[in-house]
Amino acid sequence: MDLARIFGLLGTGVGYTVLVTLACSATGVVVGLAIAILGRLGWRAVDGVLGVFTYVFRGIPVLVLLFIVFFGLPTIGVSVPPLVSMMLSLGLITGAYLGEVFRGALDSVEASEVLAAEAMGMSRVQIFAYIELPQMLRFSVPGMVNEFTTVLKYSPFGYTVGIPEVMKQAMALSAATLRGVEIYFAVGLVYFAIYKILVTAIWALEKRCRVPGLTEH
Amino acid sequence: MALLTVRDLKMAYDGRTVLNGIDLDLEEGELKVVMGPSGCGKSTLLRCLNRLVTPTSGQIIFRGEDVMRPDTDVRALRQRIGFVFQNFALYRHLTALENVTLGLRKLRGMSTAAANERALHELGRMNLAEHAQKYPSQLSGGQKQRVAIARALAMDPAVLFFDEPTSALDPVMSREIINVINQLRRDKVSMLCVTHDLTLARTVQGRVLFLDQGEILAEGEASELFGDHADPRIRAFFS
Repeated sequence: MDLARIFGLLGTGVGYTVLVTLACSATGVVVGLAIAILGRLGWRAVDGVLGVFTYVFRGIPVLVLLFIVFFGLPTIGVSVPPLVSMMLSLGLITGAYLGEVFRGALDSVEASEVLAAEAMGMSRVQIFAYIELPQMLRFSVPGMVNEFTTVLKYSPFGYTVGIPEVMKQAMALSAATLRGVEIYFAVGLVYFAIYKILVTAIWALEKRCRVPGLTEH
Repeated sequence: MALLTVRDLKMAYDGRTVLNGIDLDLEEGELKVVMGPSGCGKSTLLRCLNRLVTPTSGQIIFRGEDVMRPDTDVRALRQRIGFVFQNFALYRHLTALENVTLGLRKLRGMSTAAANERALHELGRMNLAEHAQKYPSQLSGGQKQRVAIARALAMDPAVLFFDEPTSALDPVMSREIINVINQLRRDKVSMLCVTHDLTLARTVQGRVLFLDQGEILAEGEASELFGDHADPRIRAFFS
């Protein structure tokens, strides 16, 4: 089997790899934003819950959490589909990290701008939506790129719960052809290509939204 | 009826008295300048008047309405008071034009086209029309402060508050801002300006209040206070 045919077969798993990466990244962004916004409220009880969540989910390995969700929850009668299991494990862990990225970025928004918006008569929600969020997202790009890359690299865990992504295709091919070196070399190239496209797209978007004097890279 | 009447306004933080019984009147179209040493409570006074901070006690009557009442719509009050800050406080992710239109679109509900037209008018009034598409980092200090003034004026406020408008600027840029304030005074814009810039106070020719340790020690024309005043603290400050 030549390399082109190997790539062709691996290609059938690329869609799932991208799907897992996007779904878990999106979960991470939503959870991270929720952590950053709730942390902004300054309620002690909420801060305590967020602290515990962040501490736990940053400390637990992805594979362990994935197995707890996918294999553990059915034992108490809760059956979770494979993609949702990935979102509840890898996605939540990513959210815990992104929450810290967003919090740091929010702290970079100048207090004087928030005060000016208050003095103008804006509500807390308007200040967040029109002043803090647009700046926070721009400040967060480097941290988000790191986290999205990590999600991509953890996406092969999807094969352990039956998602037919690139790694699952590779294992099947390797077993059928006994040409592991070529196949896993090709897998490496596929992941690198996805990584390169992902990063290029994000930086292109960042460049389009770049504001002179706000973020320098 | 005065635009703004303040009686026996007091403010304390952590047991420390910052404002101790301020009385102040501002008529429609009038400019008053509040001067005093750093830490005397000038900025706190402005922040109390638009309820950015809540005074401990006292009375603030704004166009006949007691704005110290618990049911006061504080956000509506703030929309009627334009606030210009010492450090400009422009939104860094927005162009000069967007800085001016944001409040018009989001608080006044104006369409983008109408807000742009209004904003360009105000920026033109500040000689900044050609800088409308620039971001704050691409403007000089004086230009930034003029954008901040345009942003405040665009909301058609009843009064403009200036909090040390020239203290972050060099003398040339300060003069730009002083000229703008003079122009606004001629246009009968009501203004309350807090500063320790003697040149500004002398040039704009409003009535001057001297604030020290939370109390207004004197009020008068600039020429009266800048002369050989009987109170040694006032004499020392203005000499």
